[in-house]
Amino acid sequence: MIVIVDSLNSHEYSDILAEMHRLRARVFSDRLGWDVKVSNGMERDEFDDLDPAHVISLDDKGQVVGCMRLLQTTGPHMLSDVFSCLLDGEPPIRSPHVWEATRFCVDTNLLGRGPTRNSISYVTSEVMIGAFEYGMHAGITDAVAVIDPVMNRVMQRSGNAPYGYLGSPHPMGKVTALAALMDCSEERIESLRAFSGIRHDVFEQQVYEEGV
Amino acid sequence: MDIIDLGAQSPTSADYMSYIATMCDALELDYGSYASVNPVTGDVVGYANYSDDWKQHYISRNLHRVDPTLHVASRSIAPVDWQRFERDRKFHSVFRAAADFGVSAQGLTVPIRGPYGDRGLLSVTRNCSIEEWEKLKKHIIGNLQTAAVHLHDSVMRSTSLVRAMGFPTLSAREIEILQWTAVGKLQQDIGDILSISHRTVEIHLRSARTKLGAVTTSQAVGRAIGMGLIFPG
Repeated sequence: MIVIVDSLNSHEYSDILAEMHRLRARVFSDRLGWDVKVSNGMERDEFDDLDPAHVISLDDKGQVVGCMRLLQTTGPHMLSDVFSCLLDGEPPIRSPHVWEATRFCVDTNLLGRGPTRNSISYVTSEVMIGAFEYGMHAGITDAVAVIDPVMNRVMQRSGNAPYGYLGSPHPMGKVTALAALMDCSEERIESLRAFSGIRHDVFEQQVYEEGV
Repeated sequence: MDIIDLGAQSPTSADYMSYIATMCDALELDYGSYASVNPVTGDVVGYANYSDDWKQHYISRNLHRVDPTLHVASRSIAPVDWQRFERDRKFHSVFRAAADFGVSAQGLTVPIRGPYGDRGLLSVTRNCSIEEWEKLKKHIIGNLQTAAVHLHDSVMRSTSLVRAMGFPTLSAREIEILQWTAVGKLQQDIGDILSISHRTVEIHLRSARTKLGAVTTSQAVGRAIGMGLIFPG
């Protein structure tokens, strides 16, 4: 299930937000080795203070298993600042219809491989569907996402290949990072749904029959 | 949507007022209002086509101090439908009397963020059934985003802050694509020339329009020529 947490409703989701920051610390600091600030086991930066929106995936037990952070490209965002190396020093794109997605990750400790509900590819698709539906509703047509090559491959294999890239891949920690473009459209959402088999409303809690 | 171009010269408040009126006509809205706070001076700028009676009522009671469509909406990245304030006492204390002034409490606010931490808000209202409202929203939301950023950038360009800091610069790619556009190449051709998808070309063009404060691509080309960024085709 997907929840959108922003500065309007963050007071209702403080535990989930803390868990999300812990997931980000495990992924970006421990696993990917990015130069990020971690304190009390939580990864946070100055962009978290700029009222971003977080797309958060919760598993059936209510644990945070995936997340993504969204900011408008018209205002301050990561590509205009800390990730400018990815754009080869060029200024970033700026459009009322383009959002930036950063800190996109899933919990590889809790999730397994394969096509099940508790898999990396399922949660990746669920976060993407949630973000694209939220974006479309807001009049957004495209997203630029900062991702690593593993995430890029997962997306290419799950009916969600970027239609282009900005700048060039750059080393970051133990991996490289790149800025990928994706359309925020019915077609892409349908392609993601067809691949993942997610047919339900991702924003609604699902009730599963036990023992079937 | 036919929209007034605010990017050409220094607009006056009359230009902003007619911009809002034209936008409301084009997008089938009753009322529109824009507000921003200068991040340096703290000055509040506002334009609205509400009736003078409602403006008077709103100002005399200092409703802007509590109005959640201003304070809360500015912390969202997405447009905020006022349905989200249904259980907000402050919202009702502002809009309880609005109906008496012919202003519907059915509306939404588009939050705008600028490069220097500046934030603006474009709010619109429409009195109609909830079904009509949902349909209208879906139809106009993209245009509202364009209009909101165009209006906000225009207001900010006239401030000393943005004059001192300069406006977002174009990337080499954006300039290259504008140059090919100026010589008459279509997006598909430009994509082939540069070996990128036509949607990537489109994104760069949109970004160039936003940075140049242009509503259309031809305005953007004209402005880029005027600034010496590209050569006439």
